[in-house]
Amino acid sequence: MNVAFTLIALASLVTLTIVSPETAFSTMITGVKNAILLMLKLAAIYTVWLGVLKMMKETRIDKALSRLLRPLVKRLFKKERDECYDWISVNLASNMLGMGGAATPAGIKAIGSMQQDGEKATDNMCLLIVINATSIQLIPATVISIRAAAGSANSASIFFPTLIATFISTLSGVLICKVMSLKNGKMPNKTAKYNVNITKTHRLKPFFAKTRTKGNTI
Amino acid sequence: MSAYVLPVLVILLIVVCVVKKVKVYDCFLDGARDSLTLIKTVFPYIATIFIGVELFAASGLSSMLANLMSKPLSYLGIPKEITELILLVPLSGNGTIALLEKIIAECGVDSYPARCAACIAGGTETVFYISAVYFSSSKTKKLRYAIPVSLFCTLLGTVVACLLCRAM
Repeated sequence: MNVAFTLIALASLVTLTIVSPETAFSTMITGVKNAILLMLKLAAIYTVWLGVLKMMKETRIDKALSRLLRPLVKRLFKKERDECYDWISVNLASNMLGMGGAATPAGIKAIGSMQQDGEKATDNMCLLIVINATSIQLIPATVISIRAAAGSANSASIFFPTLIATFISTLSGVLICKVMSLKNGKMPNKTAKYNVNITKTHRLKPFFAKTRTKGNTI
Repeated sequence: MSAYVLPVLVILLIVVCVVKKVKVYDCFLDGARDSLTLIKTVFPYIATIFIGVELFAASGLSSMLANLMSKPLSYLGIPKEITELILLVPLSGNGTIALLEKIIAECGVDSYPARCAACIAGGTETVFYISAVYFSSSKTKKLRYAIPVSLFCTLLGTVVACLLCRAM
């Protein structure tokens, strides 16, 4: 992220300074102004949707949804807590239904409740980002309504191409993520197995020691 | 028809709340409280990304880069009218919709580039925005392969969409 931002900002600032130096700062401020406008809009959307999500949590509907998607979610995201699976399920379900307002806060909470050590993103986090970033929306409602408003003969004709394209992009994303996690996961997995073995022998030793001393005293 | 889906779902949810004796008013209060903290953590990320996006567009770099890329992308079957859209898609959702409307106005709504643009706008997400916002509440600093893989798959989806638009 740092590399991408520095590259884009530096290159743009250099060109802007050459072309029209007086607009350089006002553009950056316009950027933040747009961000604040978007934030206001998002604050309103999040407030409503977080209220709805809270109702889902209190009525335990999120658990039911989670149970419904569990086979899929558990296969994709391994070794997480139950709470995290619930949030991932809500995130995926609202994504598919086109409720972006609910998907984002649920996704943020899912990432927040994932286990991690250090500052590196885990494979599960990367997978959730890739699934969200490749878009799994079933009905592109906004685009269809824009086409209808522009007077298209068949505004929904883009439905199948869009669906197939996003399906392929998401599927390839999941596959690449799994390949990456296999490649990266080999070493830590081995050490993890070693750790288990060590603790097992440690647990066995005092156990034997105890029985032995018991046998001696008897 | 689809306009009914969301309100009906929320009405059903409130009915379930009443049946299960969940306090609806308190739920919305909690939601509003959560939203404030969420906005506070998300804001720095969005503001910073918007500075970059605004600079990128205002400096003319994005259209320059689009011109450069239009040739290699045309070999993948992507029409030159939508190369700028491909650059903008991972950066800004509002920008994508604005550019889609411009392409529709210029090429005609049922033309090949406009249909491609509609598929791309409907089937992609703002990769950088999602990556920044989703990680905002965790202490993760290194995103590893999340962004490159997302960008590659988005491009793959774009190529497929353009191919399908030609066929269908």
